[in-house]
Parts: sequence; structure tokens; C-alpha cells
Amino acid sequence: MIKSENLNFEYAAFGEGERPAKALRDINLRINEGEFVAILGHNGSGKSTLARHFNALLAPTGGTFRVRGLDTRDSANTWEIRQTAGMVFQNPDNQIIATIVEEDIAFGPENLGVPPDEIRRRVDEALAAVKMTAYADFPPHNLSGGQKQRVAIAGVLAMRPACIVLDEPSAMLDPSGRREVMETITRLSRESGITVILITHFMEEAARADRVIVMDAGQIVMDDAPRKIFSRVDEMNALGLGVPQITELAFELKKRGLDVRGDVLTIAEFMSEFSRILRVSSEFGVHSSEISPISSELAQAGEESHCEEGLSGRPPQENAPEKQTPGGQAPVLELKGVSHTYSPGSVFEKSALRDINLAINEGEIVAIIGHTGSGKSTLIQHFNALLRPTSGEILTRGEPLLSAAASKKRKRRKKMPPSEANPTNQAYAHVGLVFQYPEHQLFEVTVYKDVAFGPTRMGLSDVDSRTVAALESVGLGPEFYEKSPFELSGGEKRRAAIAGVLAMTPDVLVLDEPAAGLDPRGRREIFAQIKKMHEESGITVVIVSHSMDDAAALAERIIVMNEGEIVADGTPSEIFTRGDFLTEIGLDVPQISDLGLPAGIFTVDAAADYIAKRAAESGETCGNSHSSSATKGEGL
Amino acid sequence: MSKITIGQFYPINSPVHRLDPRVKILGTIFYITVLLFVNHFAGYIVAAVFIALVTAISRVPPALIFRGLRAIIFILIFASLINLFFTRGEHVLFAFGFISITLEGVVFAVQMICRLVLLILGSSILTLTTSPIRLTDGIEALLRPLKYVGVPSHDIAMMMTIALRFIPTLADEMEKITKAQKARGAQFDNGGLISRAKSLVPLLVPLFVSAFKRADELATAMEARCYRGDIGRTKMKSSRIKRSDVFAMLIMLAFFFAIFATRYL
Repeated sequence: MIKSENLNFEYAAFGEGERPAKALRDINLRINEGEFVAILGHNGSGKSTLARHFNALLAPTGGTFRVRGLDTRDSANTWEIRQTAGMVFQNPDNQIIATIVEEDIAFGPENLGVPPDEIRRRVDEALAAVKMTAYADFPPHNLSGGQKQRVAIAGVLAMRPACIVLDEPSAMLDPSGRREVMETITRLSRESGITVILITHFMEEAARADRVIVMDAGQIVMDDAPRKIFSRVDEMNALGLGVPQITELAFELKKRGLDVRGDVLTIAEFMSEFSRILRVSSEFGVHSSEISPISSELAQAGEESHCEEGLSGRPPQENAPEKQTPGGQAPVLELKGVSHTYSPGSVFEKSALRDINLAINEGEIVAIIGHTGSGKSTLIQHFNALLRPTSGEILTRGEPLLSAAASKKRKRRKKMPPSEANPTNQAYAHVGLVFQYPEHQLFEVTVYKDVAFGPTRMGLSDVDSRTVAALESVGLGPEFYEKSPFELSGGEKRRAAIAGVLAMTPDVLVLDEPAAGLDPRGRREIFAQIKKMHEESGITVVIVSHSMDDAAALAERIIVMNEGEIVADGTPSEIFTRGDFLTEIGLDVPQISDLGLPAGIFTVDAAADYIAKRAAESGETCGNSHSSSATKGEGL
Repeated sequence: MSKITIGQFYPINSPVHRLDPRVKILGTIFYITVLLFVNHFAGYIVAAVFIALVTAISRVPPALIFRGLRAIIFILIFASLINLFFTRGEHVLFAFGFISITLEGVVFAVQMICRLVLLILGSSILTLTTSPIRLTDGIEALLRPLKYVGVPSHDIAMMMTIALRFIPTLADEMEKITKAQKARGAQFDNGGLISRAKSLVPLLVPLFVSAFKRADELATAMEARCYRGDIGRTKMKSSRIKRSDVFAMLIMLAFFFAIFATRYL
């Protein structure tokens, strides 16, 4: 199907003195008809460049690339190649051309000159294949991200390709959108026998493929079955990629001396693997071979210690606990009975927040999670008075957020520059709000000027020292000051944009999806940066996220939103005991929490420690050694 | 702002929806022209009956059709007041200082309201029953003869489609950037003309950057789907003149004669 020999590609140099950028080096690749291949690699590893070779958007500068025997360098083949290998891109908005779903799907076949009746048939088939038939007449901007990506997939299917290449199709989606897209892709690969090439940052997605290719610095560094690839945990971590959480857990257990296969990929596999170990080591022969949550098996091994931990089964509190900061101060931000209704009284009336009671204390690091449309964006825009509540009040350190500033304004009106006198500006400076994809708001000539924009507009003193401090705290040194924000890399741009908010020295920093669209390495960096900042300056941090993993990694307290209400508020361990509930409201729970471990365990390390301990204990009580369990285990 | 609707298409499948867009566009132009010939109230009644009939057949809720009037309500009130107060005539009904209301003024104002309302209702039916893409198809088809004198009719239509597609997306984006910059202290609504124009820089630069990026990605996506202008292109919903279209044209003709007849009342 696809065959490349010594493929090399360089991007042409733009300015003088710049050398052409070598993006691909000596790629030798063969992909067979009907395969499902995942391509992994961090940003800049060349995977998107490679993807653009599959349908002749790029042609090799050295070596050959053939799609079904057609050389991509020969422009006479271009249209046939593009029809053979269709492509789905990352941003769902920027690949839908028409204003009605079905007309967009018809776009490809129309370009190919397919007769109208045949186009109609293909469009209906493609809609059915991605389960979007009910949305045929919808305008695309009324669809969710996941639905838009399914439309994009349908648009490719309608061209009847033999191969579909997806370039990070789920990078900009929320967990439910990601599930929709992955289900669609997996189904296509299984049922229609189409060749699927999936480029992704998500290891769980790659684990579903038949074959995984790992790229680094323009080269293929690994090419094997996912089971083999992900058992090389150390290598994958070194590449900045990581492995699925469940694989990592198995790996950690192995490290702790347990006899576990290092190549488990799914939760079911882990369960059967683990019940085998546990049953053999402690001779719990009474259990059926059915896969059951570990806790029920472990419960018998270590019931008492569960109780000692005192966490299991304790439900998270339904309402914000009335916590007091150690100093007895009023919370840095407090919402009392806040409701918000968009366009009240019109046909578009929509209640986005209902009776929110919430207190955020000085120095806390809080995560707000909820699916798209749960009201979390509306909520955080209340924090700095971008939106005003329809009813209820917002207090900061016991004073109303706006009137506190407004009374100052009345007293000192004439002396102050207009921007500082503005009460909402004071609220903006009090609570720094970093929007999703904040790099989209960069506009100045240099990074320094852009970061200084906020404090300057606010009329704050010491603009220079604030700017420098802000840039430093996101890890951008003086060498960046005079650069144009548009020449930075994706991660640097994002950090510069965060600095732009930090420069106003807010008391509370609110970040909406700070890691959205970044690769695994970028995600880790940004979280480490936030954590460091929190530790060093003690700034109160609120993070908004779809991802429980992010929340678990960072926050001391998690607030769960659903349908405009706070449905849970507690420590991560309290929240993660309710995995089913979280899945039900469209959230992505860490794989670990699907194992049914006792409460309080939601990181790989904690889970590995716990299981290892239990296994050791149960082994000891029954007087069985691991070595014998291993030999018996082989027989099962 | 995500509620923004361009061309407010009402997606159902009525006989009016199914008409060829060319017929509907030409029909609407014809209808507006004919409306200008009306010089008698009976003519407006004929036109109103005609609109009511078309609305009934199109099964679009009348409330939606009337919604189109909201946009021009101030023009309507303003223009009719001016006509009311400043039309001179013989039959003075009411006079106060330099203001006088004459019978002619009243008649003229009412006629103008009728004309404007009927005009808007007529064009609303066109946009409500024709999806933007069909509308652009229609325009493309009507412009096609001009291709031979060098007018790139297909490209114009494609640009219109893409513009329609991206207006809501860019409106959303604009809203987001506005909020982000506001949160950094930017103000867009005070100061003099120059400072106002300056204050738009933090808004327009990111918007343009993003629009160019989108344009670039969209162009790549279109190429990936084998787009190469109108070379060898077909249409899923190819417009062919059907019997119903001919029937619609006959009705338009009948409407024209009915209006014409009222001139001689």
C-alpha cells in the first residue's frame, strides 16, 4: 500500500543565512493494505511532515515515496494519490468548507467529478459510517468538536479512499469527543478494512493500533506491535512520550519484584493478569475466573488496613466545605449563591450557572473539572468580573469584588489614570485569567512589550520589574525579550502569554486548560512550571481541565462541575472514589481509578506500592513464595 | 455571539425549499421590482396575499419571517415619521407650528411601510428557504454566462461559501480575544477616535494572525480533498429546472398581472 525508500525531506530556507530544515531522514517504511498504524513522537519529531507525504501534500526531497505504486513526486499522480489516501487534520474548524454537513461531505466527490446520484449515495453511506446521519442538515458551527471531526472523517470516506491518514484528530477535543473519534476510527479499521494511519499524542489511543511507529528527530526509532513498544517503558519515557498508565503500572509492579507481564495494554488484561498472580500467591481458589475489581480480591487480603486508611467508601462532600485558612482570613475568592443566565428573556435564554457556593482560600491549588458546556468557563469568567452574576454575589477577602474597587475609585478618582480607576480593571488585576490557547492573544512586536501590556494598561507601578519577574517565573530569559512572539515555539508562546497575565501580579491565577494541544513533554513542562510558581510565590492557582490526570497531578482540591452546578468538591482521593459517576458525566478518569482500588490511590506509584504491599502480605500469610507462584502461574 | 445566524436558513423540506435557487433568486428580484410598480392599496393586498400563500407553502413559521423586520424597525419608524410630518398636501389633519400632518402624508407613510415590509418579508422567504450554499450555487449559476467575459463566477461563489462558513467561527474567536485582552486591561469603548483605533490593535492583530492560519490550513485541507477550482467538478445537488420550477414561474407571472391590474383600479 505505502512504501518509502530512504525518504528525506527538508523545508526550504526562508531567509538568507538560514539553512534548510531537515525534517525527515532516511525513512524506510512499508505499510500494508488494511493495517492500523499509529505514529507517535513529540512535536517537531517529523510525524506531521511524514503524514503530509501520504497524500502528496509534500513530495520527498530525497528518496522515494509510493502510494499503491504511484510516485508522489510525479505531479500527474497527485489527484489519484489524494483520492487513495485521504487526510483528516487536527483543527476541526479549519477543514470543513461548506455551511451544511452533507454538502461538506459531498465536497470531495464533487471535486472528483462523481455523478450527482452517486455522490448522494456516497454521502449517505459516509454519514452512516460515522453515525452522523441525524445531523445531515446541521450547520457545522452548531456541532461539538467530536462531531465536527466525524464529519471531517466522513468527508474523506466519501472519496472512497483505500487509506485514511489522521493527523492528531483528537488533540483539540474533550474526552467525550476523543472517545467518539477513537470509536469511529477503530470501527472503520475493523469493519471496512480501510488502512488507518493515526498520528497521536495519546498513548491509550496508540495502544489500539496493530502497529506503532515512534519518531524522533526526523527518524523512525521504533516500529513494532504496541505491546512490544510499550513494554520498553524507559525508552519511551526518555523520548518524552510515556506509555499508557496501565502499562506503566504493570512495569512498576515488575520493578517491585512481582511476576507481572510487562506488556499489558488494557484494563481487562491487567485484571486477568493480576488476579492470576494474586490467586496463585494467596491461593484464593474460590474466586471464579471472571474479571472482577481488584479491591474485592484485595479486600480479603487486607481488609483491616483499609479501614485504618479511613478513606474507602467515604463519599466526597456535596457542597463546598467551610474551610478556614490557617490565619483565619476570609477566602481570597468567595461566591455566594451565584447564578448566571445568558441572554435572559430571549429565545436563546440559557442558564449556565445555578446557585454556586464556593470558597477558594489563599494559597490553594484547585482544579475545576467538567465536560464542555458544564459551566466551568462561565464560572471562571465570574472570578475576575468579565461576566457579572445574574444573581448572587462574589466576595474577595470578605469584600464584594467590584464594589471594593469602586469605592476606592470614588475617593481617588481624579488622581488616577483612567484605566486604574476602572473597578473592573482592579478585578482583572486581582484575578489573572489565562484563557484556553492563550497564545492566540499575543500581538505585540516583542515578547517583552506583549508581557508589559497588561501592567501598563492597568497603570501599575514598576512595569519593568513586574514584566521581568513574570517572564522569569515562566522560564523565559532575557534572550527572549526582543524576539517577536510569533517566532517562538508553541510551548514558549504559551508561556509568554501566561507571563502576560502574571505581570499584573494577580492574587489568584486562573488557567483554562493550560496544557490543551501540547505534546506529552510540553504538558509535563507546563505543569512543572505552574507547580514551581505556586510553591515559590504561594500564589493561589485555579486550573480548569477536562482531564482528571492533570487534576490529579497538580491539585490539592478538585471541584467537579456538571450542568452548571458544583456536583462534588473535595480532595483528589475523595473525588476519585467516584469513578463511575465521573464517567457518567462525561469525564475522563485515570485508568488507575478503573481498577477499583481503595480510595486515595490514583497515581501509578501509589497503586504500585499498594498492590505490591498487598501481594506481599497475602503471599506471606499463605506461606507462598513468588517463585512458586510464577511457576504455577505459567500453568494457568 | 455564537448565536449569530447568517442567512437564517430554516432547514425543512417544503415545495418552496425544493425550488431551484436560480428560480428563487430571479423570482425575488422580479417580486421586488413588481412591488415598485404598485400605486394602489389593492396592489399591496395582492402582494400580501401572495406572501402569505408562499409562507404557508414553505411551512416556515411566520414568526421567523417577521423576525427579519426587527432589523429595520427603526428605519421603518424614522422614515414613516418623516413622511408623516413633512409631506405637504391639501388635506391638513393636524397642525402645530411648522409641523403639519396631512392626509397625503398619512397615505404616503402607510404605503411606504407596506412596501418596505413586503419587500423584507419577500427576501426573508428567499433566505429562510434557501441554504446559503444553495444560494451561492444559484448566484454562481446566474453569473456563469459572465465567465465568458472574464468573471470568475466559480471562485466568487466559493469565496462566498467560505465566508459564510467562517463568519460564526471568527465571531466566536473575536469574542474570545476581546475577553482575553479586556482581562489584561485593554479598553475598546472610550477615548477619542485615534485612541479607539489604537485600542483595536490588540484585537485585530491576533484575529488576523488566526485568520491567516485558518486560511492556510483550510487551503491545505481543500487540496487534500482534491480541490482544483471548477475543473471537472460536479454537484451533488445539481440544479435542473423541474416542473415545479416552471409552475413557480407561472405563478410569478400571474402575480405580476394581478399587480398590474390593480394599477387600473
